[in-house]
Amino acid sequence: MSEFLNENPDILEENQLPTRKEDRAKDLLLGGFSNETTLERRRLLLKIDHSPRSQVLQDIELLDKLLSIRTPPELTSDEDSLQESEEESIASQNNEEEELDLIDAQEIYDLIAHISDPEHPLSLGQLSIVNIEDIEVHDSGKQNEMAEVLIRITPTITHCSLATLIGLGIRVRLERSLPPRFRITILLKKGTHDSENQVNKQLNDKERVAAACENDQLLGVVSKMLVTCK
Amino acid sequence: MSSINLIKSLKLYKDKIWSLDFSQGILATGSTDRKIKLVNVKNDDFALIDVLDETAHKKAIRSVAWRPHTSLLAAGSFDSTVSIWAREESADRTFEMDLLAIIEGHENEVKGVAWSNDGYYLATCSRDKSVWIWETDENGEEYECISVLQEHSQDVKHVIWHPSQALLASSSYDDTVRIWKDYDDDWECAAVLNGHEGTVWSSDFDKTEGVLRLCSGSDDSTVRVWKYMGDDEDDQQEWVCEAILPDVHKRQVYSVAWGSNGLIASAGADGVLAIYEEVDGKWRVLAKHELAHGVYEINVVKWLELNGKTILATGGDDGIVNFWSLEKLA
Repeated sequence: MSEFLNENPDILEENQLPTRKEDRAKDLLLGGFSNETTLERRRLLLKIDHSPRSQVLQDIELLDKLLSIRTPPELTSDEDSLQESEEESIASQNNEEEELDLIDAQEIYDLIAHISDPEHPLSLGQLSIVNIEDIEVHDSGKQNEMAEVLIRITPTITHCSLATLIGLGIRVRLERSLPPRFRITILLKKGTHDSENQVNKQLNDKERVAAACENDQLLGVVSKMLVTCK
Repeated sequence: MSSINLIKSLKLYKDKIWSLDFSQGILATGSTDRKIKLVNVKNDDFALIDVLDETAHKKAIRSVAWRPHTSLLAAGSFDSTVSIWAREESADRTFEMDLLAIIEGHENEVKGVAWSNDGYYLATCSRDKSVWIWETDENGEEYECISVLQEHSQDVKHVIWHPSQALLASSSYDDTVRIWKDYDDDWECAAVLNGHEGTVWSSDFDKTEGVLRLCSGSDDSTVRVWKYMGDDEDDQQEWVCEAILPDVHKRQVYSVAWGSNGLIASAGADGVLAIYEEVDGKWRVLAKHELAHGVYEINVVKWLELNGKTILATGGDDGIVNFWSLEKLA
């Protein structure tokens, strides 16, 4: 196994990373999604396009929603009331007519491509450690059905000791961003690493990942990698 | 087929519930937020009666276990220590528990704690690949380590004692279950159960008297039943995989429980709760419940006796404990 698949990776510029083929801004402004993240994105886009002729401004319902997310949520330190509200929101999710929020490979890619490499001052997307064609998503878009995402990562060298750390960064990023219906599997791409099975096993052991997330030092490193995501 | 019906759902935490256990009608739960919560399940009360001091541990509570038939609780944490809690005697009959002891010894996260049926031995296991056996006194105040078992080549995820014999089973990240036996006051490995193709997350013994069997649940999404066949000339136990239970789970099986009613329950990452029964030596699915914790994973399943009925309790990543009854359909 001395095949150096990705030893001297071509560095991609940020604007070379894959994005949606259609006009993304328009899609975000007028698309059917309405979860808070996409609304937030729309809100940001609105700042760019606020001419009176903008189609978006004509969409009153959307505007109302956007305005409502601008009002900060009521903060409460009372755990019990938090729990209640959580339960309420779960209940309302179940009762409301199902709103589809389909998540695809591009969306997953956008979440993880901008994570910084722990060694290089570059992102995982730029280093082609994560590639859109190595992301598999099975999602019905329904909040009460399980969904799955499988990501194969390509470490820059076959003995890269930081592969586990990169995988952990991706997992933490996705666990924090994706809805709870998602099961996340992260694997090293076949033949890209000398201790592939070992790293794969570790990255997909929920107990080890949970314990790693309570390790302040490790979490510090991961947080640094994730700073570039926002 | 039978059906599994939800009796009661308790939202106890915002974060995941890793472990739960019952004794004398009191449910104890452990979670990522370091809080151990106690709930009275007697007489359909389901009231939260105590939250133990969360400063006792610096990291998640991974495992809780009541000393059989008592109000003494052991809790293992990712902070690599084990805490022992005792009920405080109080005149007004309120339920309050105080920290009695902290047991140190493991190098990394403690993943499992288990009491022997007589309550005099406590087994603990850890990511440091070892299983420790502690001997204690009547009051459970002093703990002396009598054995450190180090044959597992990876993290030890779970330990469980045999209900009557001096036998201990440990499940590991090295894909095996090991059976440990007391050879004249010396604990040694009596058997290695090879067969799972991934981490073994938990195991449980058959409760039938005179029968030595064990079930185990794994990352490979299967539940297996193992049977003790006899001892060889070197005093090693021979175990065979007697059955692989019907293929129900699509992902990791995190917990298995063998009830005194002879039924096996399993649950895991796919959110499925399954119950199997053995008919004429063949295992079949008696009942199954999908999305038993919504889209969340289930970390633990336990059988318990409540108001003269045998029911199930599950704990999940949603911070909820669900109670289930099994209803036979005509």
